[in-house]
Amino acid sequence: MLRKKRNPAKARYDNSAYLYLLPAFLLMGIFTVYPVINTFVTSFKHDFQFLTGNYAGLSATHYLDVVSDPVFRRALLNTMFIAFVCVPGSMLVSLVLALGLHSIKRLQGFYLTIFYLPQVTNVIAAGLVFSFIFNTHFGLMNAVLGWFGIEPVAWISGEGIVGSQERYNEAYMRSLFVLFVNNVWDGLSLHVLLFLGGLQNINKQYYEAASVDGVSKWTVTRKITLPLLSPTTIFIFVTSVIFAFRAYANVVALFGGSYGPPGDNSKMMITLVGYIMDALGNYLTPGAVSSAGAAAVVLVLMVMIVVFLQLKLTKRWVFYR
Amino acid sequence: MKLGKALLYLFLSVSSLLVLVPFYWMLNTSLKSSAEVAKVPPSLIPAEFRLQNYVDAVVQAPLLTYLINTLIVGVSVVAVSTAVSVLSAYAFARLHFRGKNVLFFIVLATMMIPQEMLIITNFQTIADWGWMNTWQALVVPYWINPFNIYLLRQTFMQVPDELYLAAKVDGLGNFRFLRKVMLPLSKSTVTTTVILSMVLIWQTYAWPTLVTTKDDLRLVSNGLQNAFTSSVGNMEYELQMAAATLITVPLVAMFLFLRKSIFAGMLQGGIKG
Repeated sequence: MLRKKRNPAKARYDNSAYLYLLPAFLLMGIFTVYPVINTFVTSFKHDFQFLTGNYAGLSATHYLDVVSDPVFRRALLNTMFIAFVCVPGSMLVSLVLALGLHSIKRLQGFYLTIFYLPQVTNVIAAGLVFSFIFNTHFGLMNAVLGWFGIEPVAWISGEGIVGSQERYNEAYMRSLFVLFVNNVWDGLSLHVLLFLGGLQNINKQYYEAASVDGVSKWTVTRKITLPLLSPTTIFIFVTSVIFAFRAYANVVALFGGSYGPPGDNSKMMITLVGYIMDALGNYLTPGAVSSAGAAAVVLVLMVMIVVFLQLKLTKRWVFYR
Repeated sequence: MKLGKALLYLFLSVSSLLVLVPFYWMLNTSLKSSAEVAKVPPSLIPAEFRLQNYVDAVVQAPLLTYLINTLIVGVSVVAVSTAVSVLSAYAFARLHFRGKNVLFFIVLATMMIPQEMLIITNFQTIADWGWMNTWQALVVPYWINPFNIYLLRQTFMQVPDELYLAAKVDGLGNFRFLRKVMLPLSKSTVTTTVILSMVLIWQTYAWPTLVTTKDDLRLVSNGLQNAFTSSVGNMEYELQMAAATLITVPLVAMFLFLRKSIFAGMLQGGIKG
């Protein structure tokens, strides 16, 4: 009895816990922890052969190859576009819609249901629909523009880009626009819901105090709502950016398996994950898997930087209640 | 004031319509004949509703196989991964053991790692095991889901200690307590993890593309991407859109059916500052 009292915590140790954890950690070891280590090591193996496992020593060659590969730079650029242009765009639209939804009672659930629908589609199905909407000849977008007398625009078909840098750049801009619209639509669903949840969590007392003081609605939004919403805003931004770093399937659905218009060999719209997948697809080529590994390590570094910045930002900028 | 509210409703309605446009265009195109799809400018309402497109899409893709495959993979994944997650979440939420914090930190850390980093080695593992073009390859790697472990642990922690202590007094073992008390009390979260896992399988594209090359093992996403886009010559947009509709409808239906609990869970569980 006395002994038990001396160390109560130890007495309650329950070794059956490890049995409960065994399946999860066995799977995690094989499919998560080992892959992280192995991919990191593989990225340094020079001319790694997938089938035999042979390699010609360890070096950072594949990192140099990847970084100097124009396709990789393009992938990085497009991924950054999704993360730092599309995500803020989608968040801005969602914030406005959530603020609107927050100030109404009737039909709130109805609108919320509609705004959430993009979340419950199949990513490939949605991408194909957008691709068709922006079709030069049969698409809805050009039909609507036609009502205003605007000539059909080659949104993603990239007509005449071969051999003309100027045309190529124009086609790239148009494709980025399509990617932007698709991403805003897709991100809307979760963002509106999370913003609305954040708005509903703000203590009503602040608003009551403001209305007693006769502060205008716009000032209330700017000085009370937005600062108090900042934890939600940062959470959405960070999770969306990390998610955006992994963009792949929707790009394939929008622009096809060669990531661009027919006749274009630059993989115009490729993303980082697309780069990894393409390298993996060539796994029989010596070194291809190592290049995929190097690109994946870059991806993980990007995620880590964002997580690190988030920790810093939440300390400095976020206003807690 | 009245005018402001009216303008707000107008704004929200117009936004809703814009969000619905892709759904409408998908449905609209899926009902047109191939001749009408090729019309410039496109008609906003199909001249006649051609339901035959759906039959053609199912036959040509073969969409039914993809749907059944996805269902088989989804159920196999959900059944095992839910069990795995529940067991470990219970240990983290309720039991005391050495190394608990370190092990839970590992779970949290793996949530941050992009799946694409893992795909490279997992591809090697699957190839080493001779699992290319097998069901196992599509199912087993999805059995571990750190996010679900985290979500379930948070819910299990909300079950009051008194219940556990009372159950101990009554001689209820850990496993029976989990089964008889914890799980019934956490039904909504378990449902949420089941739905999220199912949606994940419905969306999954990269991994199946890598480990399967045979058509009869394709899931909906891969099947849809390959079936109508790889054919040379004329694109059959109306069939593609019919297939897209068929793949979208189950998810939308499930969502509309479970909408209340999904929203309640997400709005309550939102970020607390």
